[in-house]
Amino acid sequence: MATPRPQKPLELILARNLLTSISTPAFLLDHEAAVVFYNEAAAALLGRSFEEAGRMEAEQWTQAFGPFDRSGVPVEVDALATTEAIREGRPAHATFTIRTADGSPQSIEASAFPIVASEEGSSGAMILFWPLSENGDSG
Amino acid sequence: MKLKVWGARGSVPAPGPHMNRYGGNTSCVQLTLASGEELILDAGTGIRSLGLDLNAGRRIHILLTHLHLDHIQGLMFFPPCFRADSEITIWGPSSPEASLEDRIARYISAPLSPVEVRELPCSVSFRDTPASEWELGGATIRAEAVTHRGPTLGYRITDGPTAIAYIPDHEPALGAPLAGLEPEWISGFDLARDTDLLIHDCQYSDEEYPEHVGWGHSGVSDTLAFASRVQARRLMMFHHDPLHSDEFLDEFCASARSTWGDLGGDATQLEMGMEGAELEVGPAATVPPVHA
Repeated sequence: MATPRPQKPLELILARNLLTSISTPAFLLDHEAAVVFYNEAAAALLGRSFEEAGRMEAEQWTQAFGPFDRSGVPVEVDALATTEAIREGRPAHATFTIRTADGSPQSIEASAFPIVASEEGSSGAMILFWPLSENGDSG
Repeated sequence: MKLKVWGARGSVPAPGPHMNRYGGNTSCVQLTLASGEELILDAGTGIRSLGLDLNAGRRIHILLTHLHLDHIQGLMFFPPCFRADSEITIWGPSSPEASLEDRIARYISAPLSPVEVRELPCSVSFRDTPASEWELGGATIRAEAVTHRGPTLGYRITDGPTAIAYIPDHEPALGAPLAGLEPEWISGFDLARDTDLLIHDCQYSDEEYPEHVGWGHSGVSDTLAFASRVQARRLMMFHHDPLHSDEFLDEFCASARSTWGDLGGDATQLEMGMEGAELEVGPAATVPPVHA
């Protein structure tokens, strides 16, 4: 019998419930910066549901979807705004390019903020994506 | 483990001729551990009568789930608070905003109260619940935050081979149907998993719940789904809505037992929290079924 995974902190459970209810592509990361959930809007952008993809370590995520910098070079995990947000307990905002389901690049504005519920530090982070049009406008 | 219900009502005391059997007092449950030590779960108005029943000079532990008035209102009328030989420890959720004592003192202070906490003749201390398990009276206590409005805990009390969970205010299905969620994403799951008795919020009927989504309480289908998911062997539906009369709750219970049976549960192991009820709780084989 498989050992059950430990329960997520309540603040992550509530964050997931919120993400489920909004139409902005959004991701939930745990304290190790692994993607532990993304919503249907994000699934539409990526072309793969979370149920299909499952939990992804940061490295797995970047290999599959990016992000890439403006030159198309993969951004290192440690340099991601989201990684900073979790490690340093502060919000971050960045513009980068991801790879969508059909392999085409998509420019994104992303805002990440840590989810902190105790003095021990953040239990994860929430990241919202605003896809940019070709002329650089969001939405 | 023995258990006595001193108050099973939610939100506000609901006395009256139509509420006599289930009772009108708000949340309070007394546990008597195998060691003989006692724990009190919540301090709703039911704790007043409990206090009259306690022997003098005992060390008393009160575990508060949260500080909504229906869970602390009885504190100011708890007789041991007014006895110099009482030693009372009140456990509750921490908050970055103020200490547990300061938050409770907002109620036990003017103009809401004629006495201040510092004037109580008993010896009283206030303790934030630890992040990890701790021991009281030989039992292992675990407290975890659960989905409700404001900082709120559920408790798991393990005494020898017996485990109970007390989660009187809980809306685990808020924003996500329980049926499709993995256990790790269900609020309160680890607290209630495989318990011999789960005491759980069941404030609303399924017809009432849609008007109360986000209020922090469960509709009956969600309560049953939660109990089924955690595989609780016995379920006590608790925190009755103040509008629900004895007659309503009788029908509510019968309907819930039918649904519980459909979910694969044992209908004889589902009961309603009823003021004055006394239960013996133990591993499945040692406890007789509940009778209507």
